[in-house]
Amino acid sequence: MPVAASAVYFLNLRGDVLINRLYRDDVGGNMVDAFRTHIMQTKELGTCPVRQIGGCSFFYMRISNVYIVIVVSSNANVACAFKFVVEAVALFKSYFGGAFDEDAIRNNFVLIYELLDEIMDFGYPQNLSPEILKLYITQEGVRSPFSSKPTDKPVPNATLQVTGAVGWRREGLVYKKNEVFLDIVESVNLLMSSKGNVLRCDVTGKVLMKCFLSGMPDLKLGLNDKIGLEKESQLKSRPAKSGKTIELDDVTFHQCVNLTRFNSEKTVSFVPPDGEFELMKYRITEGVNLPFRVLPTIKELGRTRMEVNVKTNVQVKSVFGAKMFALGVVIKIPVPKQTAKTSFQVSSGRAKYNAAIDCIVWKIRKFPGQTEPTMSAEVELISTMTEKKSWTRPPIQMEFQVPMFTASGLRVRFLKVWEKSGYNTVEWVRYITKAGSYEIRC
Amino acid sequence: MALSGMRGLSVFISDIRNCQNKEQERLRVDKELGNIRTRFKNEKGLTPYEKKKYVWKMLYIYMLGYDVDFGHMEAVSLISAPKYPEKQVGYIVTSSLLNENHDFLRLAINTVRNDIIGRNETFQCLALTMVGNIGGREFAESLAPDVQKLLISSSCRPLVRKKAALCLLRLFRKNPDVVNVDGWSDRMAQLLDERDLGVLTSSMSLLVALVSNNHEAYWSCLPKCVKTLERLARNQDIPQEYTYYGIPSPWLQVSVCVCTCVFFLLFVKTMRALQYFPTIEDPNTRRSLFEVLQRILMGTDVVKNVNKNNASHAVLFEALALHALLVVYCGSSNPLSDFVETNHRHKTKNIIKAHLDAQKKRILKERTAFKLMSFSASSPFKLLVMHLDAENEMMSQCVALLGKFIAVREPNIRYLGLENMTRMLMVTDVHDIIKRHQAQIITSLKDPDISIRRRALDLLYGMCDVSNAKDIVEELLQYLSTADFAMREELSLKAAILAEKFAPDLSWYVDVILQLIDKAGDFVSDDIWFRVVQFVTNNEDLQPYAAAKAREYLDKPAIHETMVKVSAYLLGEYSHLLARRPGCSPKEIFSAIHEKLPTVSTTTIPILLSTYAKILMHTQPPDPELQKHVWAIFSKYESCIDVEIQQRAIEYFALSSKGAALMDILAEMPKFPERQSALIKKAEVAEVDTAEQSAIKLRAQQHMSNALVVTDQRSSNGTPQSVGQLSLVKIPSMSGDVGSSCVEHTTADQELSQPNGTLATVDPQPPSADLLGDLLGPLAIEGLPGAAVLSEPNAVSGLEGVPIPADDAAAIVPVGKDTNSVQPIGNINERFHALCLKDSGVLYEDPNIQFVKASPRTALILASNILQIGIKAEWRAQHGRLVLFLGNKNTFPLFSVQALILPPVHLKIELSLVPETIPPRAQVQCPLEVMNLHPSRDVAVLDFSYKFGTNMANVKLRLPAVLNKFLQPITVSAEEFFPQWRSLSGPPLKLQEVVRGVRPLSLIDMASIFTSFQLTVCQGLDPNPNNLIASTTFYSESIRPMLCLIRIETDPTDRTQLRMTVASGDPTLTFELMEFIKEQLVGIPTAPHPPAPAPPAAPGAQPNTPAAPVTQPTNPAALSDPGALLAGLL
Repeated sequence: MPVAASAVYFLNLRGDVLINRLYRDDVGGNMVDAFRTHIMQTKELGTCPVRQIGGCSFFYMRISNVYIVIVVSSNANVACAFKFVVEAVALFKSYFGGAFDEDAIRNNFVLIYELLDEIMDFGYPQNLSPEILKLYITQEGVRSPFSSKPTDKPVPNATLQVTGAVGWRREGLVYKKNEVFLDIVESVNLLMSSKGNVLRCDVTGKVLMKCFLSGMPDLKLGLNDKIGLEKESQLKSRPAKSGKTIELDDVTFHQCVNLTRFNSEKTVSFVPPDGEFELMKYRITEGVNLPFRVLPTIKELGRTRMEVNVKTNVQVKSVFGAKMFALGVVIKIPVPKQTAKTSFQVSSGRAKYNAAIDCIVWKIRKFPGQTEPTMSAEVELISTMTEKKSWTRPPIQMEFQVPMFTASGLRVRFLKVWEKSGYNTVEWVRYITKAGSYEIRC
Repeated sequence: MALSGMRGLSVFISDIRNCQNKEQERLRVDKELGNIRTRFKNEKGLTPYEKKKYVWKMLYIYMLGYDVDFGHMEAVSLISAPKYPEKQVGYIVTSSLLNENHDFLRLAINTVRNDIIGRNETFQCLALTMVGNIGGREFAESLAPDVQKLLISSSCRPLVRKKAALCLLRLFRKNPDVVNVDGWSDRMAQLLDERDLGVLTSSMSLLVALVSNNHEAYWSCLPKCVKTLERLARNQDIPQEYTYYGIPSPWLQVSVCVCTCVFFLLFVKTMRALQYFPTIEDPNTRRSLFEVLQRILMGTDVVKNVNKNNASHAVLFEALALHALLVVYCGSSNPLSDFVETNHRHKTKNIIKAHLDAQKKRILKERTAFKLMSFSASSPFKLLVMHLDAENEMMSQCVALLGKFIAVREPNIRYLGLENMTRMLMVTDVHDIIKRHQAQIITSLKDPDISIRRRALDLLYGMCDVSNAKDIVEELLQYLSTADFAMREELSLKAAILAEKFAPDLSWYVDVILQLIDKAGDFVSDDIWFRVVQFVTNNEDLQPYAAAKAREYLDKPAIHETMVKVSAYLLGEYSHLLARRPGCSPKEIFSAIHEKLPTVSTTTIPILLSTYAKILMHTQPPDPELQKHVWAIFSKYESCIDVEIQQRAIEYFALSSKGAALMDILAEMPKFPERQSALIKKAEVAEVDTAEQSAIKLRAQQHMSNALVVTDQRSSNGTPQSVGQLSLVKIPSMSGDVGSSCVEHTTADQELSQPNGTLATVDPQPPSADLLGDLLGPLAIEGLPGAAVLSEPNAVSGLEGVPIPADDAAAIVPVGKDTNSVQPIGNINERFHALCLKDSGVLYEDPNIQFVKASPRTALILASNILQIGIKAEWRAQHGRLVLFLGNKNTFPLFSVQALILPPVHLKIELSLVPETIPPRAQVQCPLEVMNLHPSRDVAVLDFSYKFGTNMANVKLRLPAVLNKFLQPITVSAEEFFPQWRSLSGPPLKLQEVVRGVRPLSLIDMASIFTSFQLTVCQGLDPNPNNLIASTTFYSESIRPMLCLIRIETDPTDRTQLRMTVASGDPTLTFELMEFIKEQLVGIPTAPHPPAPAPPAAPGAQPNTPAAPVTQPTNPAALSDPGALLAGLL
């Protein structure tokens, strides 16, 4: 097992230590000072998540207003360390009720120490699953052993839980209504040239599930991906259905998925943990349906005056038709630093100049498909003392969410639930596409 | 501050203060900047209130460290606002956001001027402050007269005049020419009659600056100064608000004293050469001055109050200094004897200068009151010790006083006490007195304040001599184990130097160094142990002892790597001398050393390998077992990744199998040539406070070490020795990087020798970005450090030495007086030729050598700095404008500077006035107008002389105003060329000649040479690819612009000869141009382009008599083209 951390520090943005835990003796307690002086107080913060100072490696990550710093002096597994941080944060969030920030840490001081003791031992990551930890590390009061009333709940058997065949699911769960929620969340990363050529494009997607199922159900998920369909057509010895098949790259599954069955039958079958979990992750690089196309034209007039004309053409692919809406669309059009005066005309939504990020921010709350709203803006610059080098023209950035649309075209073909008792289940499936880093050069 | 009305500003500031982190702050600032930009851009314009508010915000943002690159216009426009709050912000922002070279300032000048000459005194104050803060050239030129007027006007309030004086001082410091001397000196004297002490203090500061620039003109102010002092000290005639703890205006008193001192020093210095001593003519003035000083000296006593003490001591020290000067120069005692030693003078000045600099640094750290003290405390002792050698009583009083100081609790005073004592070490007499305080000084080594510890260390280092060396070195060794890490290196270095210098016997020295390495191995630089090795090698009696000692240390369980190195080396060389002793058989020694092998780094392993080889060699008869063992080690390292180790292993292995031959190759190290310890050099480099330490160094030179075993006496007569030799010559164990650093060092140095070997100059520091270099811009100048740096006599190692310029008739090497002559750096000839082609560059550079007589045996060379002459030229037709940049890189001025132009008949040269003195570290520009009357090749000569110290230096330099500067390239087409060429037929208008002995050049190179001489090479006019046609226009006053045509025919088989034809409308021009080109082609010392050597094949294949017809390729077809036509014409 790889070493992931010699020490973990939680710092606020000023660099004060909120909580720390030393797992090994090989780093000094004052190493965090080095982090503060060499990383936080320099411009290097945020440029590289891994830095080496004085024989120690610092892995750091910022989550809301907290820096989580992992210090190691040995040759540690970086990916493992970061994964640990991400999982730990998810764990804390589930304990604190969704928020993870400085205040949450201050308020849950004791709990965090308790958790930190549990999730890592001598630098080796341990069980980070909230479901299991919550059984033992509770936020409720502890019942006195001398209390007369015998417990009505069965005492959970931790050893069996952790070492058993289905470590992620407890036996004896009973729900009145058996429900499964399945969300496919995709984020589109795009870099497009000003002429409209796609320079880089990919989709990273997650299949998130929430299960409220009794007993030990066995689930089977069918997607319209290429491998699964081919396999199926082989088995059933009939030609694959015409229609789009999706090629998924880099698929990773939750530990509950039965990989041997996936390898042999190419179906995703699993016994789900109780509650929320991430079933699988994937990436798609080809055949991406771009939800938006942006066509900017920017002209610089003269030395001090610059006119920015941005024409935005949005085309929603016909797969979904004009009935769908994108929500929370934000388009950030960069302007030079010396911008003094702005004026815009927008056909829908509203635009505003934000001096702090040097952008015109154009927001459209509800963006129907197959429409082409435009914005034209004119920007006046102030004259400056120094002859500045010409404006670098950073890319236009976009944020959006399109519900019931997948940029990859991935669909759920079936989701079967099978349990001994043969109860009926209700399955809910949702799709959503978000913007990752959606950038258009101008 | 008028913030109360500006809510927006206070909200903004509180927003910023509430920001949790830098990022939030940046966002807020960016937002605000966007807001300000929008407001400033607003067409409707801003109300004055808004403008003021936003400009304040801008200033606040600027002060937070963000870039504010707009809105300067608004700020400047606020200056002209009628109301105070707006004007104020306008002035403040302008003076902080803009610098003196900013274009926007021009807009403000007029408004500022109006404010200055206006009647509103608050506005006057604002304007004066701003002018003083920015103080650019333009301000100085346009505003200085007004400021001067303000200063002397009687209608102004003292407040304004005070500011005017300080503003003028500031302007004067930046541009000394703004105050014209004529008439102003009287005004200045009048100013000193001022009753208001504030104005008087300010004017006194101004006077000090003026006097140090030009003392003679202000001589008349001296009696006034004395009167002022009298008024303050004796009559106590001052208003209540100017007394500080009962002392009447100590600041003014101090500055009066300083001023008077400056007067004396400068005056005395210039007059001394003439054996003339100044006296204050008026005996009354003199008497009253003495009286006042006596009063101050007597009346000062130590009281409890710190502030009062500081103030009174400041005055006291200053008075002491002045008193000392007066006694020496004006008193009746025999001053002549003092002046015999001219060297002293320079020393004084340098030291005072350096002190003032050093004080500035220190002052920043101290409180204001203390400032006074530390400022004044510096110079008096110097002056005292310099000039009151005879007054022993006075000296001991001083030392006693200092002794009291170093015992007090107040750390600042202790610091100063130690520092001053260090300075007093220059005087030999006080040594014994200082030694009385040795115990106290040693206690200071344990002071909690590191700066005091350092001073104490310096002092101990300086006061050490044969009598107390043992104590001090032991003390230092003891202290080493507890000392600060920051100090350990310096400490160990100093201990090593002292041990070497004052060792009563050599074995003690070896003991000390070995102890040193043992205790502070990490901080002992390689130089220290190299020095031990050198010593032991040179002293045969020491060898067994050192080897035995090394053996002892090897037995210790954990020893430092340096110790391993030194022990291994010593035992390798001399272990055979111990052979009889117990535990010292070769085998035992080998195993003792070999034990350490696994613990050492790769730099030490080679030394160990050498040691093994040596042990093997010394083991007679050979011990087969040992041999086998060693060979096994060698063969193990034969495949080592480290090249050094690998090579040694292979070589030793091969050598040791040769048997008896090994004896010759690995014989004992021969003696090292005696040289100055590299350690001392290192210590000097390490010392930051150069001027301070020069005195110590001087002394260090005086006390020749009795431990030095001198193999020859070269080091004592000032002949330079190589610093690098230690690493360059031998010690086989030297690791590679030391060697390379040595080489670097020698390359960095500009070394130069005179044939008689009496002189060498060095530049021991990397080129500094100095004033001269900055001003000359593109010119590459190696800066020399301050004059106070005493550089070591350095070697003529001949490695990278710049070749000595050959005695060349044209470039006259200045004739020096034997020892004190001046040698230019670099080849004058080369520089001249380079400048013939370029328009700017360095014409001349010399090191200015000065000898400081330290003792009869050691003459130290003060390799001070260069006088440098740079040139920048512009040429237009027959006119030329040259600017000579005379740069003085010294820290003291050059006097009697004279420049004389000896123009040839054809040039009319007007040189503007060259200032008599070039101030220290300054550069003077002398414009030079040149007009060309008629063509000639003659060259103008600049006769330049100056004085440094007592020596005159004289240089004669050729000015690069040569023929080609008056040429302008012109391109002619074939249609223009041929009629012209034909019309100029035969001599004297057209001349032809065969030139022999030309440097072989390819045609392309020749063309580029021509281009650099402003001759256009016309391509394609001549069909023969071996020929070259060039054209140019010549401008002169006597004849109209003249077209000149040149044709060169080369012989591809013999590049050393060519035929040249030159034609122009003027016979002299033709002749001169021809000769000029010939000169260039025949004898350019350094070609601007490296000659592409074309191997000359079969010379003389072509008949080259002038009469012979040109051999042209006989191509009948070519007859139709113009080139062939041309060939026919010729």
